[in-house]
Amino acid sequence: MRYLRLLVLFWKASFLVELEYRANFVVRILVGVFWVGVTILSTTVFFTHTNNIGGWDFNEVLVITGLFTLMGGIIQALLQPNVSKIIEMVRLGTLDFVLTKPVNSLFLASLRYSQPFSAVDVLSGSAIVVVALSRMGYIPDGLAVLEFVVMFAMSVLIVYSIWMVMATLSFWFVKVGNLSELFNTVWDTARFPVSTFNGVLRIVLTVVIPIAFITTFPAQAVLGRMDEATLGGAMAMGAILFGFSVWFWRYAVRSYSSASS
Amino acid sequence: MTSQIEVDHLSKYYQVHEKEPGLMGSLRSFVKRKYRDVKAVDDISFHIDAGERVGFLGPNGAGKTTTLKVLSGLLYPTRGHATVLGFTPQKRETAYLKQFTLVMGQKQQLLWDLPAIETFLVNQAIYEIPKAQFEATLNELDNLLDLESVMKKQVRKLSLGERMKCELAAALLHRPKVLFLDEPTIGLDVTMQARIREFIGEYNRRYGATVLLTSHYMADVTALCERIIVIDRGHLFYDGNFRALIERVAPYKILRLQFEQPISRLELATFGEVAACDGLTAVLHVPRVQATESATRLLSQMKVDDVTFEEPPVEDIIREVFAGRVEMRD
Repeated sequence: MRYLRLLVLFWKASFLVELEYRANFVVRILVGVFWVGVTILSTTVFFTHTNNIGGWDFNEVLVITGLFTLMGGIIQALLQPNVSKIIEMVRLGTLDFVLTKPVNSLFLASLRYSQPFSAVDVLSGSAIVVVALSRMGYIPDGLAVLEFVVMFAMSVLIVYSIWMVMATLSFWFVKVGNLSELFNTVWDTARFPVSTFNGVLRIVLTVVIPIAFITTFPAQAVLGRMDEATLGGAMAMGAILFGFSVWFWRYAVRSYSSASS
Repeated sequence: MTSQIEVDHLSKYYQVHEKEPGLMGSLRSFVKRKYRDVKAVDDISFHIDAGERVGFLGPNGAGKTTTLKVLSGLLYPTRGHATVLGFTPQKRETAYLKQFTLVMGQKQQLLWDLPAIETFLVNQAIYEIPKAQFEATLNELDNLLDLESVMKKQVRKLSLGERMKCELAAALLHRPKVLFLDEPTIGLDVTMQARIREFIGEYNRRYGATVLLTSHYMADVTALCERIIVIDRGHLFYDGNFRALIERVAPYKILRLQFEQPISRLELATFGEVAACDGLTAVLHVPRVQATESATRLLSQMKVDDVTFEEPPVEDIIREVFAGRVEMRD
């Protein structure tokens, strides 16, 4: 309850910051619209040559495109600003202020800032999903919606954990900008259903780098194609990665405390 | 009764990696790093009672900040241990974190793009300060620091001095019992330094808070602290009453004289120790207890144009301490 109140306060403060920069708002919307256009266009181009990608037809891939945009918005709005801030705080030593506050340090460091305007991508992504579903004339039933909510929550948890692990690495390497480049490269594969990729790569994208959990599986859920194994796998993956990121953060804070000056 | 801050045989070593100069050196250290232990704090012990104001003196790299960080729970001691308010700092228990504050003159916690009041509100929630208490504290801080005009302006538009006022306010909203202040007046002009100093003194008196302060500016320490702890290269050189230290190291006052006609060293020697004499001007070191008497005698026996009394410069006294010519405790 207390943490929820803090979260509201943090986001309110971030929103106030964003309001200070009006031009930024316009730019964000333009960039958002531009990327939605590009993404839909490239998907359309693919489908001029074929009528399915990895067993997914145009509308189904569009659901993935929507989820991809949606998740991108969440990353931009919630994760990226905090990760940059953590890296900056480690470099400047202002992390000391986070660590001397009487709240959970990971909570404070990872959710302190946000860029609410980036939520335009969340809106446009959701719109794409809705449009794709209505083009199919498909209305997900209660179970599909429930499964989707669970899968999507896991997807957010997984992405959060990956970003936090990357941010935590900055305790040792200070400059970790290259890592987020690496993430972005791999991230792009989430535009397509994981079945697009063949054998080994598909396994890598599911188990090693859990990209499949981010867009493909939630899309399967909303389309009513979820099996228990995948559902259980996603929950396990979310729990494991989140657990690891929390442990890794604590470990980093402890070693920061015993080593840095 | 036990002390509020207890530091027992505290040591803190860092491993730093050494790099040889040049490209080859950089490449070599990229592949294999050589580490060296730096003893930032080496076997230091001291106790501080509730409500004391203690100045922490020492040159750069003496170990002052490291000690403050250990006490704030940011660093784990390599050896020895510290307790503050009965807590072990590095455990970072919530109950402890709510009772002290750390202010670093060179680092800021205020949200850059927003007015300081937004940071205050966030801290109110973080420290779970009840609304009534928050408003009362803010009101008092406003009286002492004159915040009204500055806390509603964007932080990035504030001057350094205004920002420091807000930093202090943000750090004191939860009415901490223990204040760790690391160079709180750094970079400020003389007036603002005096202002901040007065404020810290007033806060200490009003709330009985313990203050441990480091500063490069002697004036901060002379004005605020009745006790000083002097450290250098991780070692403790002196811990005790500041006045007593001055009395002991410099048990004299400085008498500057200007004469109407040339005078010799010999004639002056009966009044005190002659530190300098070039005929028309002279500098005498006169024992404190006899200072007035010597001066009176001087004025009646010689044709003196001008005379001034001065305290020995604190910097010189501290230098004596570092040179190891002073007993560790008074």
